[in-house]
Amino acid sequence: MASVVLLAGAGGCRRQPDSDATRWESLPPVDARDLRPLDVFQRIEDPAQRSRALFLETSRVYLHPRCSNCHPDGDSPYQDSGETLHNPPVTRGPEDKGVVGMECAGCHQEKNLELARVPGAPNWHVAPRSMSWVGKSPRELCEQLKDSKRNGGKTLEQLVEHNAHDELVAWGWAPGSGRQPAPGTQAQFGALVAAWVATGAQCPSEEARP
Amino acid sequence: MSQQPVVFTRRSFLEGLNLSVGGLALGLVPTVSAEAAAPGVKSAPELRPNVFVHVAADGLVTIVCHRSEMGQGIRSSMPVVVADELGADMARVKVVQAVGDAVYGDQNTDGSSSIRGVFQDLRRTGATARTMLVAAAAKRWKVKPEACEAREHAVYLRDGQRSLGFGELVADAVKLPVPKAEAVQLRPLSELRRVGSELPLLDGPAYVTGKAVFGADVKLPGMLIAVVARPPVVGGKVARFDATRALAIPGVKQVLELPPPHRPYLFQGWGGVAVLAENTWAAMRGRQALDITWENGPNESYDSEKYRVALLESVRAPGKPARSVGDVDKALASAARVVEAEYYAPHLSHAPMEPPVALARVAGGVCEVWAATQHPQAARTEAAKTAGLPEDKVTVNVTLLGGGFGRKSKADFVAEAVFLAKTAGVPVRVQWTREDDIRHDYYHSASAQKLSAGLDAQGKPTAWLHRTSFPAIRSTFSEDVTGPVARDLNQGVLDLALDIPNVRAEMGEALAKVRIGWLRSVNNIFHAYAVGSFMDELAHARGVDPRDNLLEVIGPARKVSVAELGVTTLPNYGAPVEAHPVDAGRLRRVIERVTEMSGWNERAKNGRTLGLAAHRSFLSYVGVVVSMTKDAVGKARVDEAWVVVDAGLVVNPDRVRSQMEGSVIFGMSLAMYGSITMKEGATEQSNFRDYRLVRIADAPRAIHVDIVRSEEAPGGVGEPGVPPVAPAIVNAIFALTGIRVRELPIIRTVPV
Amino acid sequence: MSIRVRVNGVEQELDVDPEMPLLWALRDVLGLTGTKYGCGQALCGACSVHLDGQVVRACVTPIRRADGREVTTIEGLSPDGGHPLQRAWVELGVPQCGFCQSGQLMCAAALLAKKPQPTDADIDQSLAGNLCRCGTYTRIRAAVKKAAGVPDSK
Repeated sequence: MASVVLLAGAGGCRRQPDSDATRWESLPPVDARDLRPLDVFQRIEDPAQRSRALFLETSRVYLHPRCSNCHPDGDSPYQDSGETLHNPPVTRGPEDKGVVGMECAGCHQEKNLELARVPGAPNWHVAPRSMSWVGKSPRELCEQLKDSKRNGGKTLEQLVEHNAHDELVAWGWAPGSGRQPAPGTQAQFGALVAAWVATGAQCPSEEARP
Repeated sequence: MSQQPVVFTRRSFLEGLNLSVGGLALGLVPTVSAEAAAPGVKSAPELRPNVFVHVAADGLVTIVCHRSEMGQGIRSSMPVVVADELGADMARVKVVQAVGDAVYGDQNTDGSSSIRGVFQDLRRTGATARTMLVAAAAKRWKVKPEACEAREHAVYLRDGQRSLGFGELVADAVKLPVPKAEAVQLRPLSELRRVGSELPLLDGPAYVTGKAVFGADVKLPGMLIAVVARPPVVGGKVARFDATRALAIPGVKQVLELPPPHRPYLFQGWGGVAVLAENTWAAMRGRQALDITWENGPNESYDSEKYRVALLESVRAPGKPARSVGDVDKALASAARVVEAEYYAPHLSHAPMEPPVALARVAGGVCEVWAATQHPQAARTEAAKTAGLPEDKVTVNVTLLGGGFGRKSKADFVAEAVFLAKTAGVPVRVQWTREDDIRHDYYHSASAQKLSAGLDAQGKPTAWLHRTSFPAIRSTFSEDVTGPVARDLNQGVLDLALDIPNVRAEMGEALAKVRIGWLRSVNNIFHAYAVGSFMDELAHARGVDPRDNLLEVIGPARKVSVAELGVTTLPNYGAPVEAHPVDAGRLRRVIERVTEMSGWNERAKNGRTLGLAAHRSFLSYVGVVVSMTKDAVGKARVDEAWVVVDAGLVVNPDRVRSQMEGSVIFGMSLAMYGSITMKEGATEQSNFRDYRLVRIADAPRAIHVDIVRSEEAPGGVGEPGVPPVAPAIVNAIFALTGIRVRELPIIRTVPV
Repeated sequence: MSIRVRVNGVEQELDVDPEMPLLWALRDVLGLTGTKYGCGQALCGACSVHLDGQVVRACVTPIRRADGREVTTIEGLSPDGGHPLQRAWVELGVPQCGFCQSGQLMCAAALLAKKPQPTDADIDQSLAGNLCRCGTYTRIRAAVKKAAGVPDSK
């Protein structure tokens, strides 16, 4: 089955493919470091199906540790592959920028520091509690991203703009110091998100995995 | 012991300390020990005052602290003993830090040896100075010395009518002969007013205002800062390097190659390439820009994981006996039941908060060093060798140490600074980065142990076999070391009181592949971990309460003879066994008190999970109980800790308490997280991101310390608190989770 | 590039690499050695200082970020060592080797400025980035509370 090839190519996800995925038999496999180019998704004729497939593809970015580590499920961000809490221990504080004495900006600069290995980008902070992603399925994440109460008060158009151009989001593809970047490029990611919105911002089924 | 202080008149010596030549300057010269007087060994002809006191004509009393201050509070403790004997007012006592000089006797600040080593000398020197001042006053008043007393910085006539300040008496006192030792009476302990009381922290105000001077805080005109790229594997060397890019960085002045060390590594530097710059930042960037090809050398094969397997294998086979009583083989063969367990503990790094740092100037035929060193005389020797100068042309100034833990007893970083200063022709400060510190340490030994106990039909222990295997510290100093020898087992194996008729300790072979060094409490760390854990395992195997089991296995209160221990001699931390016996009674008492304090008997009722361990080391006895809880995410944490310490007579109780509190934290770090691993000869860890230490949120809510009141000879304080911590935690984790941790760090087995 | 920065109330003009961490500008250029190097990677907190009142790790803060701003180091925490935290630190004998304590104090001072009555949890969170190898943590908690006038329940 082509879908098996696809799963193996995308990083060895063990879930059974769902009815959406079976429609992608024509999607080519992809290296874990890359995103499938937009035109690949044109093969899916049904716009709703295409939209779901596009979201699953973008979920590989959203749920990548470079992105999800700072959309934590509790008060502390994660680091590395997402299995360890930020060291030294930090807590989000009242404005998601740390607590007094341990503010994010106390260590993180507006760019990565090579010698010190401290990652940096403008406005470094933790996503608010309402925007927690860790532990969510792609569908749950999708529903959340469409809900302005849980997506930072953004319209879908603003979401596209944010994903495509935000400088902190951009860090995910240039994390420095040997950290594994998010797959693809920010431009590719932005284009996939835009295409997802343009196709009706459909959400995949609960079982669906990229 | 009859030791007699002598008057110091050597002008250069006094002026070196900024002291007036006319003052009363007394130094205590220890009698030549039997060991040093052995045939063929020349006794040093020069004066060796391991205590030195000076009373100036203006009454100012200066006490020279010849031991390094690294957090144990020695500068706040030593002077008080002299001042109390003298009858001095602490407000008029000044403490001066000694340079490295054999004239002060042993200055290597390790082995928890400062107070225990010089307590009597401090008293005798103070008492001699007092006797001379009193004699001067008595002469002036034409009364007998017995009619006078020294207190509050003056000599008083006992009728209370007359008094003369110390300063007023100095000129007369220096003309008197130094009284014979037997003519000098020490005050009764009850008259030492400050000893054992709450004492202020001498350097406290300097620490909290940023004025305290540490190793990197000394600056010389024209000085350059060096950051060194060292070979990743010890014994490796530079095959070739290109400094072009480094030299292009603004601020970088020179790039110099350091000579590689020869085996044994001793206190030589690691070799490598140094970047010398106007500031630390430029030097760090310069090092980053170096292009170096390394030749890793023979230690490249070192893999600490394979080594772990081999060490464990070695304790499964008989080793060389180091302690033997009765017939262990027979007793084990005939035992109704044998309990066995193997334990492993990894390499550790010292990681003092201040990484190694030294500043050197070599010019005009002299060499000056400023260093955060625990061992100023070794630093002086190493500096002299490196500079190609006689030792008397080398001055080693000792700064405050931002922690030491044994790391800064080694003079390798001083050797680097002297080499670079000499070669560059300007003063050079060598600044180790944290990565340098973690990757180029003198590591604490990795170790494997196997313990076996035979029980009779009633469950009573009849046999005890302890096998231990670890690369020995001596391997850093000598080529022919293939593993531990009996004296390496002094720490927690030979001196373990056991009320068991058949006991044997054995040691296995272990070749060192890294520089092995001593780290706070040294071999006691892994020996106490294994013995303390095994005692608890034995208790559970026997179905006996761990405290009752521990007391039973140690046996009744008694001074355990070397014959009972099954050894011919006991190194005993350099102290005579008669003065510092292995005292099972003192060990029992700390166990009894710490379990009482922590509510051991009520622990089930109070819903607490407690772990207990106790250990004798550096002539002191410490019992520890910890309470473990699970936090919200299921990690085990130390919630509360209790420590009872019997260190004999205590000079500065608050510093003893602080050392015990610190020992709990230090012990937690090594037990829960501490691990240095090597692959292809290179250390895998680099900084606090992967060499994890306890942080404030990990610290117990409270650490309760109780000091046993005692007039026994002082024992060590800086180290003895550490060994019982790891086994107490491991035992509490067993109580909490039912999981027995037989390999450190605990985080490999249980989430912490 | 010339950088103007007010350090402990004194205007300074520095002609240094703008990427040089504030730590080395303070220590090597201005001779303010109370701020310590411990790790160089913002992991230990020994270099903590205030930048416009906010705690930063000087070892990772490029000096250019301090341009036109106010830096306070341990030397400037109080004119005479009389800050309530400094007094409490001495009275309770907090320091052992003392090396980490200027960083601990600068973080604690920022905490008290914002939360005059901190709980143990507040202290643990705000000082989470400050390592102490000697293990003075329990006394640090007690001293922060003493300085704040919060009763210590233990």
